[in-house]
Amino acid sequence: MGNLIWKELINEWRSREMVVSMFIFGLAVTLVFAFAFNVSPVLFRQFAPGLLWVVILFTSVLGLNRLFSYEGDMDAHWSWISAPIDRGIVFFSKLLIGFIFLSMAELLFIVPFFLFLNLDVSFSILFFLGILILGNSAIISIGCLISGLALRANMREVLIPVLLFPLASPVVIAATKSTVFIFQNKPFEEWRIWILILFTFLLTSALLGYLLYDQIVEE
Amino acid sequence: MSFLALRVNKIHFLLAAFLSGINIFLILTIAPQNQLQPDFGNIFYIHVPVAWTAFIGYMLVMIFSILFLWKQEQTWDHFALASAEAGTMFMFLVLITGPIWAKPAWGHFWVWEPRLTTSLVLFLIFLGYFMLREFGGNPEQVSRYAAVLGIIGFLDVPLIFLSVKLWLPELQSHPQVGQYFEDAGIMPVLMITYSLLSLLVVISFMIRFRVHNLKRRETHKII
Repeated sequence: MGNLIWKELINEWRSREMVVSMFIFGLAVTLVFAFAFNVSPVLFRQFAPGLLWVVILFTSVLGLNRLFSYEGDMDAHWSWISAPIDRGIVFFSKLLIGFIFLSMAELLFIVPFFLFLNLDVSFSILFFLGILILGNSAIISIGCLISGLALRANMREVLIPVLLFPLASPVVIAATKSTVFIFQNKPFEEWRIWILILFTFLLTSALLGYLLYDQIVEE
Repeated sequence: MSFLALRVNKIHFLLAAFLSGINIFLILTIAPQNQLQPDFGNIFYIHVPVAWTAFIGYMLVMIFSILFLWKQEQTWDHFALASAEAGTMFMFLVLITGPIWAKPAWGHFWVWEPRLTTSLVLFLIFLGYFMLREFGGNPEQVSRYAAVLGIIGFLDVPLIFLSVKLWLPELQSHPQVGQYFEDAGIMPVLMITYSLLSLLVVISFMIRFRVHNLKRRETHKII
């Protein structure tokens, strides 16, 4: 698995196409939101958690499209399909690399997000980072499964969001709700149920991915 | 050849039409009404059984999908597809009858109520399922992809329901279904509706299964 992740990291270091494109896309969507919701900073603070997770979800689609398609361009995915390794491991490596790229792009656009929307940082950064990590991994785990399903589809660019958005709705709801509580500095006991939902979703989709990935990539 | 030219279809159609007539008559005449929701509330007798039937259809998709991945026999895939089609048809009816009931009961056509929202999300997942079937690529691979999606889609339901239920807790004060079950008199009419809809779902399932089987035979003939 280490080799697979290393390969993706080197590939990204050489091309720098995925993280950079995700960052620019995230920035562009933030800008559109800033123009579209021309309201007072007080109202922005209420909308901000939802807007943030919409930007993350949209950005993840861009990454998920690329995560599998660049190997499909010259049938390079054949090499890892035919490699003598457990295909569940391939799924986990894709999940990890997707999570790393999404988190990197997010770290870049989160500062402009707070700046453009005039949001002040008066909440626990630790909790906020925690929810970002959990939400990202949950979105990417279901996203990797969907991307695998759409790998050879004629309309993969359309299929990924069409399948991902409804399936990931519990993640978006739970992550948004948790972020609202974090922004309001509410005690953890009040919103731990949402963390439980995110964990359950992450574990279920990761386990399903591990078990079913063999069926997805089989020729 | 028209649909009704086939004897088995004609029998199914006549049986379903006869039972539907009796069912609607019973709902409009002897079915007990809820005190808080007179007249319009009787859509309950259709809405609730339709929703159950749709969920059963989707549960069957998951079961047949698991069997297909396990046994690798095309018949299970046809069963899963036919169940998905029947389930989606009934889920569409849920999304029609739900707002019709919601408008006089709550004042709005759409309320982000957990049951209705879960139905909508599930309906969208299965629209994606049909898109995957249509545009997924090689038919043999598509059957496997669809089976995986059928399993994930249904397993996602409890989480969707729970998160929507907790999302807007103020919307949880609608005991519309519970109110009806306080009256023991509802059961006979409700049971007739359940039987009728079960029959309808089995008929639609059988028709779609036959269509998929014929399509496969035709494709094999051409090859």
